[in-house]
Amino acid sequence: MTTRARALRSAWPQYLAISPFYLLFTVFLLGPTLFSLYLAFHRWDGIGEMQYVGLDQFRYLIDDQTFWLSVRNTLIIWVLSTVPMLFLALVLAALLNNTKRLVGFYRVALFIPNITSVVAVAIVFGALFATNSGLVNITLQGIGLPGVPWLTDSWAIKIVIAMLMTWQWTGYNALIYLAGMQSIPSELYEAAKIDGAGPVRAFFSVTVPLLRPIILFTVVVSTITGMQSFTEPQVLFGNNSAVNANSGGPGQAGLTMVLYFYRTAFGQNDYGYGAAIAWAVFLIVMVFTILNWRLVQRRAD
Amino acid sequence: MTLSRRHFLRYGTAGLAAVAIPGLAACTSSTATTGSTDAGTTALWYWGDGLSDKVVDAAKTQFASQTTLEPTKVGGDFKQKLTTTLSSRQFVPAITGIKGEDMANFRANADQFADLNEYGFKDLSSQYLEWKVKQATTADGKVIGFPIDIGPTGMFYREDVFAKAGLPTDPAAVSAQLTSWDAFYDAAVAAKAKVPGTFLVINAGAIFNLVIGQGTKRFIDENNTFIGDQPHVKAAWDLAVKAHTLGISAKIEDGSADWTAGITKGTLPSIIGAAWAGIDIRNNAADTSGKWRVASAPGGPGNFGGSFLAITKQAANPQLAFDIVKWILSPENAANNFTDASLFPASPATYTSAALTTGDPFFGGQKTIDVFGPAAQKIPIAYEAAADAAVSAPYFNQLGNVEQGQNADEAWAAAIKEAKQIGERQGVK
Repeated sequence: MTTRARALRSAWPQYLAISPFYLLFTVFLLGPTLFSLYLAFHRWDGIGEMQYVGLDQFRYLIDDQTFWLSVRNTLIIWVLSTVPMLFLALVLAALLNNTKRLVGFYRVALFIPNITSVVAVAIVFGALFATNSGLVNITLQGIGLPGVPWLTDSWAIKIVIAMLMTWQWTGYNALIYLAGMQSIPSELYEAAKIDGAGPVRAFFSVTVPLLRPIILFTVVVSTITGMQSFTEPQVLFGNNSAVNANSGGPGQAGLTMVLYFYRTAFGQNDYGYGAAIAWAVFLIVMVFTILNWRLVQRRAD
Repeated sequence: MTLSRRHFLRYGTAGLAAVAIPGLAACTSSTATTGSTDAGTTALWYWGDGLSDKVVDAAKTQFASQTTLEPTKVGGDFKQKLTTTLSSRQFVPAITGIKGEDMANFRANADQFADLNEYGFKDLSSQYLEWKVKQATTADGKVIGFPIDIGPTGMFYREDVFAKAGLPTDPAAVSAQLTSWDAFYDAAVAAKAKVPGTFLVINAGAIFNLVIGQGTKRFIDENNTFIGDQPHVKAAWDLAVKAHTLGISAKIEDGSADWTAGITKGTLPSIIGAAWAGIDIRNNAADTSGKWRVASAPGGPGNFGGSFLAITKQAANPQLAFDIVKWILSPENAANNFTDASLFPASPATYTSAALTTGDPFFGGQKTIDVFGPAAQKIPIAYEAAADAAVSAPYFNQLGNVEQGQNADEAWAAAIKEAKQIGERQGVK
């Protein structure tokens, strides 16, 4: 028996101990991922025979106006949600970092939106922003302003979805920033104070530069999650799909890439094309993640 | 024995292996060792209110000597779960429900199901509505679905609002006056003029959907050819656009918060929908009980939804499975299915039964069967291809765009272009 085999034999409990992750990863992630790549070259209704179609699905994708609309929608919603979300998170974290009382309460309060079911929140948002009967429009009209067709206008739909996402993720990002801020040594702030910097100057000259790696992390995570937004428009506009083909609301203004993928594969039983969309989403998310990474990295140099 | 780290690992991994290895073996085995092939049990899949629970329970006792009937109410996306299960060929139920809107898709995979004609449906077929059976019949004459219920359309309307708007209020008079779409549109214009803020149309897409459902042709014909650019579709489109140009469309999405508010407050005094839409109205506007009535749908009857029971190829004893299905859906049980789960029967003989002919207090004591019964028997037979729903989606999206101000002709051209693209992807000529 070679020493290597012996080493393997004596270490089997350890290998076995770490194997669950790899087994689960292979079964539930790697396998389906590879299968979806295989699917993207076929036409399949989910039950019958698969039919090899070569690159046809990708050719359809390039000509598919609805797909490009969903890409545009996703990018707009992503910008509308990520920018205010990360900015607000940074401000909230800075405030919380200087708070001495009820710190635990604030932290829990910030995190609660993140652990609330998106479906429940989307239903509440749907009721709040209803055009004729929603609280938001009734309030606007109450103070003499005109109501906004929140769930029918193309831009308003995107804003509502972005608000929903902002509401849900601001606290989460604020807590990550807070953790980062607390690891900044207090000597730096003291030094800044001695040099005559006020709190605002200290924030921009000390806090933000030192938080850069954390900001990079949140930007990357927000890109990945924001570009895969699905539940929000699905719940806001997804009722009664059999009669209502308007996925993503009027004008498909809330149709995101992942929602389009879902509708195509699971609603229309077009699994091959669905897989092709999923891979296009993967490529787009990757491109934007790399772009963001480089953008934030370069500024750090 | 002290639990050292090494021991912990040994015992831990041994325990894990004991759990994991049989589990993996079960995943990889290719023979179908499932409940349904077990001679002793028969699995039945349906969804909440898909069948009367009482009838299913009674079936359990009825067939106890022959098999253990194991009913499961499958929640969530039923079609998706059934598709996945059929595709994996594991744990496939012997008997399963299929929703009407998914029938075209499952019919395209008829080899997964038993031909009910082989087990005796042939002799029963004439008891059920012809168009309904046709939905579950393949091109070569196999029947894969036993009709559970149907969704004949009618017009639900608020009697009080119709009175205020100067429209007839008696169901017979409403049916007589609003027979055609033109007459309905005239009434809608008049109602809006008399009581501002009243809309008889929910949105243009709803009209399009109804008009297509009233015809004998849809978007794809029997030869798998795209016919979505033909006059019958254009006529439905034009009628839908007209609702927008006349200003009688509320532009509200079905089932939205504004929809609920509209039917409660009376700004949406008419809902043209399937018999089962009455449940949605009842659930969402309970306070309006007694104010609603039902009349015939303008332009003639159509069908929305409905469902079937099918027997899969994996069924160990298809004849027994068929006997169970036949029993659950017998005319005697149809009345129970109607009373317990509001399933409108597909067998006209039951329309005279006591359960269906009692007046409904929500509809002011009206016997709604007087409207839905005749409607059910006049529903046109239309061929629905598997890709039909997918191909029709762009029309609805573009009608939504028209309601947001887009030019109708441009929207029509765009709808056809998109519909053709989707059709091409799904193998339509």
